[in-house]
Amino acid sequence: MVPDPPGTEAFDPALEGVHLILFWLALAAYGAEAGFRIGGVAPSTPWKSPLAAGVALHALFLALRWHLSGHAPMAGLFESLTVFSFCCALAGLLLCRGEETTAAWVPLSVLVLLPQAGAALIDKRLTPLYPALDTPWFATHVGFSFLGYGFFAAGLALGAVYLRSGGDAIYRAAGQSALYGFSAFSAGMVCGGIWAYYAWGSYWIWTPKEIWSVIVWIYFAALTHLKFIPAQDGWPGWTKRLEMGATAAGYVVMLLTFLGVSLLLRSSHTF
Amino acid sequence: MAFWRFLTSLKTCAWLGLAFCIAGAAGSVAMGRYPELFADMDAQVFAGWFARKGTADPGPTLWLYGLLLSTGLLAVNAACCTAERLVQIFRGTVTLRRLLPHAMHLAFLGVVLSHLASALYGDRIPGVAVPQGGFARVGGTGWVLRLDRFDSVMAPEGYPKDFSATVTLYRDTTPVARGVVRTNEPLFHEGYGIYIRNFGSTPWGAPYAVFDANRDPGATAILVASLLFTAANLLYLYPSRRTDA
Repeated sequence: MVPDPPGTEAFDPALEGVHLILFWLALAAYGAEAGFRIGGVAPSTPWKSPLAAGVALHALFLALRWHLSGHAPMAGLFESLTVFSFCCALAGLLLCRGEETTAAWVPLSVLVLLPQAGAALIDKRLTPLYPALDTPWFATHVGFSFLGYGFFAAGLALGAVYLRSGGDAIYRAAGQSALYGFSAFSAGMVCGGIWAYYAWGSYWIWTPKEIWSVIVWIYFAALTHLKFIPAQDGWPGWTKRLEMGATAAGYVVMLLTFLGVSLLLRSSHTF
Repeated sequence: MAFWRFLTSLKTCAWLGLAFCIAGAAGSVAMGRYPELFADMDAQVFAGWFARKGTADPGPTLWLYGLLLSTGLLAVNAACCTAERLVQIFRGTVTLRRLLPHAMHLAFLGVVLSHLASALYGDRIPGVAVPQGGFARVGGTGWVLRLDRFDSVMAPEGYPKDFSATVTLYRDTTPVARGVVRTNEPLFHEGYGIYIRNFGSTPWGAPYAVFDANRDPGATAILVASLLFTAANLLYLYPSRRTDA
C-alpha cells in the first residue's frame, strides 16, 4: 500500500529537470516507433530502431529517478505506468528479435506507447522514501511483476498476429511470452509474499488485489499446461488458435489486476 | 480408472483453473459490496473467520466455497498428475528437465498445505496499544509487551520518514525477548512476529505505539516451497535441445 504523496521534497531541481527530459524523449521515441510501424516502415532489426533508443533513454530516466527519490521508481500510478511501458518494450526486444516476428511490432509498439503516453498525463512529482518502501523486496516484487506484465503484453501482440496471419515463429514466441511472463510474475509473487510477511505480518491478506494476483497466476499456469493436451483427447475445440486467443486474452486479465482493481474496486493494496 | 483419469487430466486442470478465476473475480466484487462481512477477514486466522461468517450468509460467501473447492481440487490434480508421471519417468529415462514440472507441482502442493496449516493453527492479535514506558498484554500468549522507547523522524510535510519502537517481551516478570521494531523489521519470538502498526500521542503527550502479534506456522514451509518452485521454474526456462517437457 503506497500512500498519496504528502507534498514536495527538496530534490535537486537540475537533475529533476534532466530526468523529465529523458522521460519525454523516451515517449517521443516510442511515438516514432509506433508511427513508423503503423506506416509500414520497419527497421532492419529492432536493435536499430527508435524503440531501442527509447528503451535506452527510458532506462536512464528510471535510473535517475531511482537516484533522486531513493526508492525504486515503481510507486504510484505515474511510475507504475512508465515502468510497465519499459517492461513491454524489454519483453518485445527479447521475444521479437527475428524477421519472422516483425509483424508483432505493429501492435506491440502501440502497447509500449500507450502506458507511457498515459503516464505523461499524470502528476510526475517525485515521491519521497516512505518507510514501507525502504526494503529490497519492494523493487523485486514490483519489478518482477511488471516484467511479467510486459511479457503478457507481448503475448497480446503475438497472439493477435497469429490469429490474423499464423506462423510457427509467432506461435513459439507467444508461447514463450506466457511462460516467461508466468515465471517473472511467480518470482514477483514470492518476493511480495516475503515483503508482506515482514511488513504486514502475513504473506497473504484478503484484498481484491491479492485475489486477482492469484487469478493471473492460475490463468497463466493453466495456459502453459494446455499445449500439452493431446489433440485427439476430446478437448472441446482446443487448437493453436484457441491457445493464442487465450494468450492474447491474458492481457485483459493482467490489466484488470494491474489497473482494474486499483481504479474500480476497493483494495488496501493499490496506488 | 475413469475417476483416476479425471484426477490426473490436464483438462481437469484447465476447467479448475477457469473455475478458480470465475470464483475469485466474483469474490473481489463481493468483498467490496459486503464490507460488513469481509472487512475483518484478516483480523483473525481464516479458519476462525470462516467458522464465524462463512455460513452466516450463503449468497455473498458462495464465491469462497468455489475458491476453496477449486484450490483443493487443483492441489489433488497436481498431486495425482505428479504421482502418475513420476512412476512413468522413473520407469524410463530420468532427466532433470522431465522432473522439473513435478518439482513445481510439489512446491505448489507444499504452499497449499502450509497455507492450510497457517489458516487452521495460526494466530492474529491485532491492536496491542502501549504507551512509552507502559505495558500491555499480548492476547492469550501469556506475554506482556513493554514499550521501552519510541523514536520517530518526521518530514517537514508531516509524514513519518522513519519510526521505531524498542520493546521488551515479558513472561510474568522475566524478560524473554528484546529488540527494535520498525516497518519491515518485526521482532520474532517463539513463532510470533511483533509488528508496529501505528503510533501517536496520548492526551497527556506521551508517545504510544500500536502493535500486531501474528503467528503463521506454515510461513517457513511456504518460503521453502516457493523457493523450490522458483528454482525449478528458472531451470525449466534454461534452453534445452530436447522437447520432452
